[in-house]
Amino acid sequence: MLFINKIFIFFKRELKLFYTNIVDLLTNILFFFLSIFIFIFALGTGDKLLETIGVGIIWSLLLLSSTLSIRKFYEEDFKNGTLIVVHMGGISYELMAFLKIVSHFLFVQIPFLITIPVASMFFNLPMNEVYVLFLTFVIGSLILSCLGSISASMNLLNSTNFSIGSIIVLLFSIPVIIFSVGIKNSDVDFFSMINLLLGISLVFLGISPWSSAACIRLALRNK
Amino acid sequence: MFKFLINPSRFNKLIDIIFRPLVIITSITLVVGLVLIYFSPLDYQQGLTVKIMYIHVPSAWLSLLTYGVMTFYSIVGLAFKIPFSFIINKAIAPIGAVFTLLCLISGSMWGKPMWGTWWVWDARLTSVAILFIIYLIIIFLNQIFDSREVREKTIAIFILIGSINLPIIKFSVDWWNTLHQPASVSKLSSPSIDISMLQPLLVMTLSFSLIGLIIAILRIKAEILIRKIN
Repeated sequence: MLFINKIFIFFKRELKLFYTNIVDLLTNILFFFLSIFIFIFALGTGDKLLETIGVGIIWSLLLLSSTLSIRKFYEEDFKNGTLIVVHMGGISYELMAFLKIVSHFLFVQIPFLITIPVASMFFNLPMNEVYVLFLTFVIGSLILSCLGSISASMNLLNSTNFSIGSIIVLLFSIPVIIFSVGIKNSDVDFFSMINLLLGISLVFLGISPWSSAACIRLALRNK
Repeated sequence: MFKFLINPSRFNKLIDIIFRPLVIITSITLVVGLVLIYFSPLDYQQGLTVKIMYIHVPSAWLSLLTYGVMTFYSIVGLAFKIPFSFIINKAIAPIGAVFTLLCLISGSMWGKPMWGTWWVWDARLTSVAILFIIYLIIIFLNQIFDSREVREKTIAIFILIGSINLPIIKFSVDWWNTLHQPASVSKLSSPSIDISMLQPLLVMTLSFSLIGLIIAILRIKAEILIRKIN
């Protein structure tokens, strides 16, 4: 079988899994909206206040709701043995982690883009800030997928404490938050910040397949 | 010659010889440093509070140095599969955390009279706070995992990823506009600090690093003994 074909079949399988488990994604989106409502009720509905803090709140809640979905990143494949089968099929763990990251980005993070216009409507954000939010989320969610891969593969190794994985994601997403939300407030020009964000995403895209493959190997050895 | 850096039995042998002199030297440098601080001149702007510097700066340097040592030993441990490096990683993480906490606390006690506030969301302060959180996560990770091999390798990988923070801390005063002053000692040109203040600073740095070294030696010895029992 051709190498490209294998990758294509892998993506097809991920797509099918995504459609069968679409309720998970909808639950995450629901969590996102409910937490926005709770935030607004807790702050009071002053228009000026919501407009100034809107982008920050939307970004941090996107981050929190994406940490909900990372627990399932490798766990099911690890339990039913898909990881070993795919490895025997000739795809190395590093490439598999990379494909997993790309498929998570395409099938879980990109659908979240629909929620951004609605959420920014709740906060009365002006149109140019919505564009900024879109652009930074497209780049930043790739970084979130990479971090999700790292922490999910670390979660395979311990059976007791799952919150440490989410903490690691939150820790490493600090640069993402600084360069994505900071675009709005900084006096540096827009494109240099976008370039920095792209650079960080490339760094994480380079690091995360290796580290998650190392963790997967350890987990399979200790299964 | 440098086998004691990676071999537990050589390490133990060397430590048995040098531990007692090390303690004596440490106490002498600590006393000399404190006396030098007492006689060091006051700053013409900051007055007496400038003496916080002799605690603040050495602990900040040592927090970075400890993380650098941990990064070095994780590379060595992952690349050459030397178990002693993981012992060191486990032993010195709390020491680095304590130095970072000392740096943060003394810094905020210095910041209150000088800047008028305990805490500023400034690049240097924030990145050091993140370093403290990274140290805490390393200490927690040491408690969580079931199997020892998994724990050691995961922590080494985590330390390597977290070492991105080190250059950010070092260059944060140059890259961003901050309240925190830029580097005045560790520059390529001659240091811009007066010699009467540099002397107690260097002596205190020496004594702080020796104290850290003594605690690290004790912890490493205890860790080696624990591994022998298991």
